[in-house]
Amino acid sequence: MESSSILDSLGVEIIGVMAPVSICMFLVVLLTYSLSVTSDTQIRTAANLIYIENPSDSATVKLEGSLENAIVFVVLVAAVTFVLVLLFYYNFTNFLKHYMRFSAFFVLGTMGGAIFLSIIQHFSIPVDSITCSILLFNFTILGTLSVFSEGMPIVLRQCYMVVMGIVVAAWFTKLPEWTTWFILVALALYDLVAVLAPGGPLKLLVELASTRDEELPAMVYEARPTVSSHRGRNGGGGSSLRVLVGGGGGGGGGVSDSGSVELQAVGNHNANLDYNAVAVMDIDSGDGNGNRDGVVRSPLTGNARERHFASPLSSEHSAVNRESVAEEEMSPLVELMGWGDNREEARDLEESDNIDRGIKLGLGDFIFYSVLVGRAAMYDLMTVYACYLAIISGLGCTLILLSVYNKALPALPISIMLGVVFYFLTRLLMEPFVVGMTTNLMMF
Amino acid sequence: MTVAAGIGYALLALGPSLSLFVSVISRKPFLILTLLSSTLVWLVSLIVLSGLWRPFLPLKANVWWPYALLVLSSVCFQEGLRFLFWKLYMRLEDVLDSFADRISRPRLFLTDKMQISLAGGLGHGVAHAVFFCLSLLTPAFGPATFYVDRCSKVPFFLISAIIALAFVTIHTFSMVIAFEGYAKGNKVDQVIVPVIHLSAGMLTLVNFASEGCVIGVPLLYLVASLTLLHCGKMVWQRLLESRNQSGPALR
Repeated sequence: MESSSILDSLGVEIIGVMAPVSICMFLVVLLTYSLSVTSDTQIRTAANLIYIENPSDSATVKLEGSLENAIVFVVLVAAVTFVLVLLFYYNFTNFLKHYMRFSAFFVLGTMGGAIFLSIIQHFSIPVDSITCSILLFNFTILGTLSVFSEGMPIVLRQCYMVVMGIVVAAWFTKLPEWTTWFILVALALYDLVAVLAPGGPLKLLVELASTRDEELPAMVYEARPTVSSHRGRNGGGGSSLRVLVGGGGGGGGGVSDSGSVELQAVGNHNANLDYNAVAVMDIDSGDGNGNRDGVVRSPLTGNARERHFASPLSSEHSAVNRESVAEEEMSPLVELMGWGDNREEARDLEESDNIDRGIKLGLGDFIFYSVLVGRAAMYDLMTVYACYLAIISGLGCTLILLSVYNKALPALPISIMLGVVFYFLTRLLMEPFVVGMTTNLMMF
Repeated sequence: MTVAAGIGYALLALGPSLSLFVSVISRKPFLILTLLSSTLVWLVSLIVLSGLWRPFLPLKANVWWPYALLVLSSVCFQEGLRFLFWKLYMRLEDVLDSFADRISRPRLFLTDKMQISLAGGLGHGVAHAVFFCLSLLTPAFGPATFYVDRCSKVPFFLISAIIALAFVTIHTFSMVIAFEGYAKGNKVDQVIVPVIHLSAGMLTLVNFASEGCVIGVPLLYLVASLTLLHCGKMVWQRLLESRNQSGPALR
């Protein structure tokens, strides 16, 4: 470990989140690219209840209609989220879990099935209906089982999360153009409010879950690497996981229903830890007795840490029984922003500790990032690249903010805003420029 | 032509960078992040430039000097941006070093620094290839191909992929040269990078003449290989120096 440079391990977490998002976006782009010819039919979903866009409509009609669509969709999403919060508040957790399983089954079975069918048709894959339905059934059941079960390998869960994101996103890309843009922007704004505003449904949900130490019944991608691959990649560099987005630590799990999203770092604390320790304002965390870092950190960054509950999710997974010290190191990027401090002994401590923690990203993030990129793919490849870069950098910014603020953050706003801005900049400014240059074979 | 042709063009432009990515960059997450951010920087620079030039577009197809002006302004802007990128990297390096001290790990090795600059350069190069070549490849996946009048022997996609490959090489390795030049305060290296970039950009103006690509592209490749050679020589010297200085510290 001494001989390896810090570059080897820096930023594993960020890549752990970015890689699946990239895969999801890439596959959605591939899907929309290869299937766009065959599937021109309009779909009727909650996202265009009011107004069905017609390409021949005038711009004002489109504007009003898609605005109405977006508002209705966001209101629906908010209502569903509030219902979720209510159900969770009155301890209908099992019902929620079963509902999530059912919806996973439904999504994979019907939407996924439709997509598979169109793939089979488009590439004329020779497969008979019985085989196909058995395969689809197996695939769906495995996906359903993987949603909330502890026994499944984490890789499988991650794969199915990505698959579900792809399926739903591919479905959403069939929405008409204006409606898509308005819904994306509206959702980004909604996400901002729902996670950050006091009384926002997602914020309530997270706080509820963290006070109860329960896992949230929601579709969440856990970027927690499997222990083996983690080891393999870092060659035993234990603390690598959160070197860059070191924050994490406290807080509950990321929550989302399919329309709402958030992002946060999660500490995988041993369930045996004494949760009452939260109350102890023990600044000197060098003893490593499991103080939550929400408490530990509060003197450092000061602001409003007190109301942020630090008790972690215990049900995160039971497989890992590793004690984790609720201490984290400030990431270099955070220090770049001037939040640095000196806590030498803590650092030494955590060097010896192998802490396993991951970042959770709601399924909704996957979906709407991919929807944006898929929509961009219908215009040109150039917009796809620009949007991809914008979204990924927005995600990076969010992750950095996450390590600064150390609480649940909405992952949509920055990325979606950057993505939309870059899309239109690329389309309006860059494309004529680049096409004009390259068709004359000028480059620089 | 077909999907195969499209993939072939894409690999022609980006194949070497892909292998660089897989063999060097993808091993270290931080390098991936560097690559992504440098790609973003390049994209932003392109958007700003296109915003500046948008009122004057489309340029007249038969006058060459506006294009020369365009290339000149773009190169100047991007070289300025490279300097800013370097400043940012300096801060980052300080932070990383102090961070390494604190968790009692060794500081950045020379090879690490070079890899960071390589990742930064590759980001620029990849962005160039993506936006100037790959993003126009969409029609290449279809059943037809496209020729431009001024270079009627070779399909447009092929020639743009070939040019893009040269530029990927130039961008990638000139970043390494520039970072070394800045770090050592070596004036020659600092100056040579904008010169390379500018001359490469100006050489594409040769394509403006009818059938000029027959001359322009080989000249471009000459510049690219000179860049590669210079970079290789410089890195080799630096590695030898540091080995002589500090013995086994180098991996």
